[in-house]
Amino acid sequence: MNLIDLGTLGSAASALALALALYAMIAGAIGAVRRDARLQTSARLTAVAVFLATSIAIVAMVAALLTDDFSVKYVAEHSRIASPTWVKVVTLWAALEGSILLWAWLLTAYTAVLATTTPNTVLRPWALAIMQFVSVFFLLVVVVVANPFVVLANPPLDGPGANPLLQNHWMMAVHPMLMYLGFVGLTIPFAFAMAALITRRPGTEWMAQTRRWTLAGWGFLTAAIVAGGWWSYEVLGWGGYWAWDPVENVSFMPWLTATAFLHSVQVQERRRMLKSWNVLLIVLTFALSILGTFLTRSGVVSSVHAFGDGPVGPVFLGFFFVITLGSLGLVAWRWDQVRDRAELDAAVSREGAFLGVNVLFLAMTFAVLLGTLFPLIVEAINGSRVTVGAPFFDQISLPLWMLVLWLMGVGPLLPWRRAEGQSLRRNLAAMSVGFAVAAVAAFTFGMRGIYPLLTVGLAGWNVVSIGLLLAGAVVPRARLARRGLAATTLRYANEQRRKVGSMVVHLGVVVMALGILASSAYRTDVQLRLPYGERVAFASYELEALRPFAEQDLGRTSVGVEVGVIQDGRQLEVLRPRINVFAQNSMAVATPAVHYTAAHDLYLSVAGAVDPNADAVIMRVVQSPGIIWVWIAGAIMALGTVWALTPMASRRKALAEAPLGERSPA
Amino acid sequence: MTRLLPLRRIALAATWLVLLAGLVGSTAWAQQRALDAEVFAIGDELRCPTCVSESVAESNSAIAREMRVLIQDQLDQGRTRAEILAFFQERYGDWILLNPPRTGVMLLVWLLPVAALLVGAAVMLVLIRRWRRAADLVVDVADDDRERVRAALAASGAASGAAHAGSDASAPAPRP
Amino acid sequence: MKRVAIVAVVTAALGGLFLFGLLRGSPDRDIPSNLIGRPFEAFELPLHARYAPEFGPTLAVAPGEAGVPMVINFWASWCGPCYQEAPFLEDAARRYEGEVAFVGIQTQDRGALAAGRAFVDQFDLSFPNAIDDDSRTSIAFGLFGVPETFFVHADGTVAYKHAGPVDGALLDARIAELRR
Repeated sequence: MNLIDLGTLGSAASALALALALYAMIAGAIGAVRRDARLQTSARLTAVAVFLATSIAIVAMVAALLTDDFSVKYVAEHSRIASPTWVKVVTLWAALEGSILLWAWLLTAYTAVLATTTPNTVLRPWALAIMQFVSVFFLLVVVVVANPFVVLANPPLDGPGANPLLQNHWMMAVHPMLMYLGFVGLTIPFAFAMAALITRRPGTEWMAQTRRWTLAGWGFLTAAIVAGGWWSYEVLGWGGYWAWDPVENVSFMPWLTATAFLHSVQVQERRRMLKSWNVLLIVLTFALSILGTFLTRSGVVSSVHAFGDGPVGPVFLGFFFVITLGSLGLVAWRWDQVRDRAELDAAVSREGAFLGVNVLFLAMTFAVLLGTLFPLIVEAINGSRVTVGAPFFDQISLPLWMLVLWLMGVGPLLPWRRAEGQSLRRNLAAMSVGFAVAAVAAFTFGMRGIYPLLTVGLAGWNVVSIGLLLAGAVVPRARLARRGLAATTLRYANEQRRKVGSMVVHLGVVVMALGILASSAYRTDVQLRLPYGERVAFASYELEALRPFAEQDLGRTSVGVEVGVIQDGRQLEVLRPRINVFAQNSMAVATPAVHYTAAHDLYLSVAGAVDPNADAVIMRVVQSPGIIWVWIAGAIMALGTVWALTPMASRRKALAEAPLGERSPA
Repeated sequence: MTRLLPLRRIALAATWLVLLAGLVGSTAWAQQRALDAEVFAIGDELRCPTCVSESVAESNSAIAREMRVLIQDQLDQGRTRAEILAFFQERYGDWILLNPPRTGVMLLVWLLPVAALLVGAAVMLVLIRRWRRAADLVVDVADDDRERVRAALAASGAASGAAHAGSDASAPAPRP
Repeated sequence: MKRVAIVAVVTAALGGLFLFGLLRGSPDRDIPSNLIGRPFEAFELPLHARYAPEFGPTLAVAPGEAGVPMVINFWASWCGPCYQEAPFLEDAARRYEGEVAFVGIQTQDRGALAAGRAFVDQFDLSFPNAIDDDSRTSIAFGLFGVPETFFVHADGTVAYKHAGPVDGALLDARIAELRR
C-alpha cells in the first residue's frame, strides 16, 4: 500500500540511532581520556546525527499513525481509522512503546543541543558521553525490548484505538510531553555531575553549566504535575485532581528531590559545601525517574495506569541499579575530592535554612516512597494484603508541608553565614503579624481546624516575607537612584531575574497551598436527582436539567444532559455533562462539565444512565472552593521559572553576538 | 423531551438504542438516587474492591456505585461513619481501608516517616555542630588575618551596607 | 567499608523486594477473604424463574442450615471466565448431589435478568441460581470480582475462597477437604 515501508524505516532509523549513540559514547569517552579533540568533535557531531536518526524514527511513527498503516504493530494495537487527527498524533505516547520512543527522541534532542551549544570545558566530553550512555539505554529498549516498529505479516484492517480516557481531553497532548521534558532536562545535571566526578572537578563548575537546564527541567516537571492534575479533574469525574495513585507518586518523588537539589546547589555555589550531597541528590532525582517507570510499567504496585506486563519493567529496574550503583561507586572512587571540608558560622543562616529544606523534602520523598511500596513490603514479609491510600499520604505530608511553608518564609530573608539578630527579629516580628492577621481573619470568616488556620496564617507569613524581601532590595535602590518605587521595582525585577523569579515561584507555592486547602477541606460532594424542568437548590445555586441530548462525533458518541446553572434567578451558563461512548470498545466515559469561577467551581458529572424516557437525571455535583487557584498557582510557578530562565534584554543581545565557534580543547 | 422536533427524536432514539445496548454490555449502571456529601466522605476512605487503586468515592465501577447507595442506606438508618467503615472492614478486611489502621505491621508505615524526619534532623544538627567547630578552628588559626579583615571592613563597611539582605555576607564589624 | 556494606544491604533488600514483586503476579490477584473461619451472612434472594417450581420464588440461605457442606459461586453474565467454569460447576453439582449443596449467585450485573436467564439455560444449571441485583450479597461476602467461589463447612463456617474460574480437579480437592 505504501511506497515506503514505514515499519522497516522506523526500525532501521532507531537501529542506526543506537549504533551512532554507541559510537558517540565510546568515541566521546576515549576522546576525553586521550584529550583527543578530533574524537571529541566527532562524538559531538555524531550527537546531532543520533538526533536526526531518532527524528526519522519519530516521523516514521507519526506518518504510520496518520496514514493508518496497520502493518506497523504499534499502530495496529493502539490506533484507529476513525480517530480524529490530533488523537492519532498523541497516540504516539498513549502506550508504552511509543512513549519510550518519544522519551528517547527528546533525550537525543537535548543531547544534540548540548553538544552544539555548551562551551568547551573539561566536563563537556564526559557529560556528552554520559548522555549518550542514557540514550543507548533508551534506544536499546526501543530496538530490542519494546520495538514499536515491528512489521505485521497480516495487518488488520482497523485497530482498537487509544485508551478512551486518554483521548477524552486535549490535555493528554500536553501533560506527558511536559513530563518527559522534565525528566530529560534533569538528566543533564546528572550527566554533568558524573562528568565532574570523573574529571575530579566536583566544584561548582558542573552546576553553573547546568543551572538553566536544571531549572528548566524542574519547571517542566512542575508544569507536568499541575497539568496532570487538571487533566484528571476535567476527565475522571470525581472532581479531584490528586489521588496519590502510584503513578502520581512516582512523578512527585523526582520533583521533590529536584526541588531539594535546586535549593541545595546554592549552598555549594556560595559556600563550597555539600559537594557529595548534591551529587547524590541529582543521582537520586534521575534514578527515581527511572524507578518510577519501572514501578508503573511492571505491575509491581497497583496503579490506575499500570500497563501490561512484559520485559520493559525489569529492564528499567536493571538500569535503575546500574545508575545508582555506578554513581555511588563513582562517588566512592572520588571520595577525596567530594569529601566536605565544610564550615558553618551559624545554624541560623541561609545555608542553615537550605539544610532544613533538604531534610524536609527528603523526609517527604521517603514518606511517599514508603507509602507507595509498603503494600509490596508487607506482602513480601508476611503475605498479607494491605492498602496505603490517600488519607495516609495527606496526613503524613501535611505537617511537613506546614514546615516547608514556615521555612519558605524565613529562609530567603536570612543572610549567608550569619544572621544579624536585630534585623532578623524585626523581620520575624513583621511576618508573625502577617501570620496572626491572616489566621484571625480566616477564623472570623468561619474557618476552623488546625491545618486550615495554619495554612492561611503561613500564607500571610510568606506574603509579608516576600514583601520584606522585595522592599529590602527596592527601597534603598530607589532612594539611591532617586527614582520612583514602581520604576525601581521593574528595573530590579528585570536585572535580578533569578531572585525575583524565585520570589514569584514562592508566591505561586503560597497560592497553591491556599487553593489545595480550600478545594480539599471545603469541598461539597453530593449526588442529586434533577427532574427535567424543575429547579433544584444546591449551595448558592439552582440547577435545572433542561433536556437530554445525544450527538455523534468522530469515533465517539455522546449522551448527556443540558443543565442550566442559575443564581439569583439568572441563568449563568448551560453546562453539558455527558457520557462519551467510544465506538471501538463501547467503553463509557463519564465526561464532566465545569462552571469555573474565581471563588469556586461547580462541577457536574452524569452519575447514571441518560435515559430519554426518564423524568429525571442523577447528577454528581461537586462544589470546590478555590480550585481554580491551583491551576493559576501552577501558571505563576511556571511564569517565575521562565522569568528566572530568560536573560535580560541586554544580556540576551550579548549572548546572541558571542561567537559560538570552536575554542581549543582544554 | 417534548421540545424536540419529531425527526430529531427519531435520530436520537436510534442513537440511544445503540448506546444503551453498548452500555448494558460494559457498565451496568447502578440504582439511581440522590446521595449526601457524607457518602462521598466515607467513600474517600474505602478502596473500591473491583478497581485498581481507586476509592469508592472516585470510581465509576458498578460495585462502587452500589456501595455508595449502601452507605446512604446505612446513614439513613442512623449509622455513624465509624460503624459503616467497620461494616466494610469486617467483610473485606483491612485491605479496604485507604487509611491504614495504626496497629500491627501497619504501625510501621506511620512511624517510619516520622523516624526518618527525626533522623534527618538529628544528622543535620550533628553536621551543623561539626561544621561550626570547623569554622571556629579556622578562625583561631588565622587570628591576625581576621583582625586585618575586620579593620578593612570597618573602613569600607557603612557605604555598601545593607543594600539587600541576601548579599550581606560580612560578619558584623566592630565599631572603631 | 561500612558504607559499602550499607549500600550492599540496601541494594539487596530493594532488589529482593522488586524481584518478589515481579514474580508474584498482579498486586490485585486473589486477595484473601476476611470470612475464612467465620460463618457467612444469611441471605435471601430471588431465584431465576426456572428454579421456582423446585425451590419457590426466593432462596433463603443461612449458615449451617443445609446440614451439608456448601459451594457458593458468584458469577455475572458479562464475565468471560464465568462461562468457562459453569460446566465444571454443573458437573460437580450432579456428582455430589445430596452430599454438597451448590448455590449460584448472579451479581454485579444490575438489570441483566435476561442475560442471566440465558446463562443458566445455556449450561442447563440444575442447582439453584439466585439474583443479587443490588450486589448486597456480593458486598456481604466481601467479593473482589467475579467469578469467586466460597467453600463452606457443614456448620456454616467459610473454609476457603477461590478467585477466578474453578475446574473439576479444584472442586474435587476442595470438596474433599470440606468432607474430611
